[in-house]
Amino acid sequence: MQHDTPRSPATDPAVLVSGLHKTVRVGFRARRLEILKGVDFEVRRGDVFGLLGPNGAGKTTSVKVILGLMRPTSGTVAMGVAGLADVGYLPENPYFYDYLSGREFLGFCARLFALETGERRERVEGLLGDVGLLDAGDVHLRKYSKGMLQRIGIAQALVNDPELVLLDEPMTGLDPVGRVEVKRIIESLRDRGKTVLFNSHILSDVHELCSRIAIMREGRVVWQGTVPEALAESPTLEDFFMKVVTA
Amino acid sequence: MNQLVAITVNTFKETIRDRVLAVIVVFALIMIAAGLWLGSISLGEQGRMMTDFGLVAVTGFGLIVAVFVAAGLVRKEVEKRTVYVLFSKPVSRVAFISGKFVGLCATMATVIAGMGLFLFALVWIVSGRPSGMVLLAVLMIYVQLLAIIAVTIFFSTLGSAILASVLGICVFVAGQLSHNVLALTRLGKNPLTEALSWIVYVIIPNLSAVDVKAGAVGEQTLAWGQIGLWVAYLLAYVVVVLALATLIFRRKEF
Repeated sequence: MQHDTPRSPATDPAVLVSGLHKTVRVGFRARRLEILKGVDFEVRRGDVFGLLGPNGAGKTTSVKVILGLMRPTSGTVAMGVAGLADVGYLPENPYFYDYLSGREFLGFCARLFALETGERRERVEGLLGDVGLLDAGDVHLRKYSKGMLQRIGIAQALVNDPELVLLDEPMTGLDPVGRVEVKRIIESLRDRGKTVLFNSHILSDVHELCSRIAIMREGRVVWQGTVPEALAESPTLEDFFMKVVTA
Repeated sequence: MNQLVAITVNTFKETIRDRVLAVIVVFALIMIAAGLWLGSISLGEQGRMMTDFGLVAVTGFGLIVAVFVAAGLVRKEVEKRTVYVLFSKPVSRVAFISGKFVGLCATMATVIAGMGLFLFALVWIVSGRPSGMVLLAVLMIYVQLLAIIAVTIFFSTLGSAILASVLGICVFVAGQLSHNVLALTRLGKNPLTEALSWIVYVIIPNLSAVDVKAGAVGEQTLAWGQIGLWVAYLLAYVVVVLALATLIFRRKEF
């Protein structure tokens, strides 16, 4: 990941992805597979930004490159926040340490950010309350339902009170109650001025939450703009999405 | 430092709460206790047989725990994708590998201390006097296993958990024999085989140098100064192997 020269925080985007290419080698013959073919998008501060696209479009890979979990073949990622210490991330279909309780797991994550004992305890209890897991805090994660795991996953992404939150398919597998709870968390992050980037297939949630969106197809961003701009071209976001990805 | 402590504590909890570990330890204690029976059928050598058998059991079961747990530590994090959670936070690969190692060392210390104290108590009951040499021999087994844990973690950054386990056991066996192999090739006076055995001798940790089982049963007088130097060598070996494991792991993408 490359970082540009620091600029004024007020004008800096939270994330600026330019010309991102990623090629991996797969199979026995190490065949080259180009996953990202020049991805460009900008996430502004305070945005709830939706990264959309069909399966295999390169959304998760783009997020992994932003986080440094993968190295780009070429291109740059400029972060307008103070590195990973100011970033929270929820992976898709998260799996956590099943031998830890929810409280222990959040305590572990808080410790990775060098939070003091008192602050750590306060933060953990606050987050357990925010995601509705206070009563299940001492239950081992192996006994959590999918929805509970998703919620503890969101809590761990927020343990450092990050400025930038990346959520990979945060609504996947959740029942309607779970989806409403996750939406409320994203809304509260937006209200607190945090920047949220999330991948999703659920367009109604994107419509409801996002200020800006980018649509990816076959390793490229094929459209980006605001939700009203998209709705000016088609009656629903779903129609617009289908028009863009099948064009 | 905070990251290292967090990963160490987490690894300790992960390994000590593993039910398979509890089963192995219970089985090891039964085997050590079985030494009582073995001693009873040996004529006048009950204490010695008991100690000998017990130390072999501590080594064998310690090796099983060290190799199979160490092989899964890093692989499990990658396969179950918990690395996404870790490395999306400001966690360095050095802290990750070191924390995994130190955490498992803490678990091994608990397991080996439990088995060692049990053996110590049995030998005391059978022979009527405490034997500090049993505890020292157990401590040296622990030092040997530290090297095996480091080597197995190194292999697990290169390949599968099964491969890492097999190679870990191979290094343990080779480490018991490397000194003898070098001595034998010297007798042959062939410069090529001698050079080759020197290379193997440098790569494979010389575990037999800190094996004091024979001293514990009174068959050998121990040179403690030399043993201290070999312990320092093994600890340096651990540092080098972990540094190599970190170098390899830093190149990995997830």
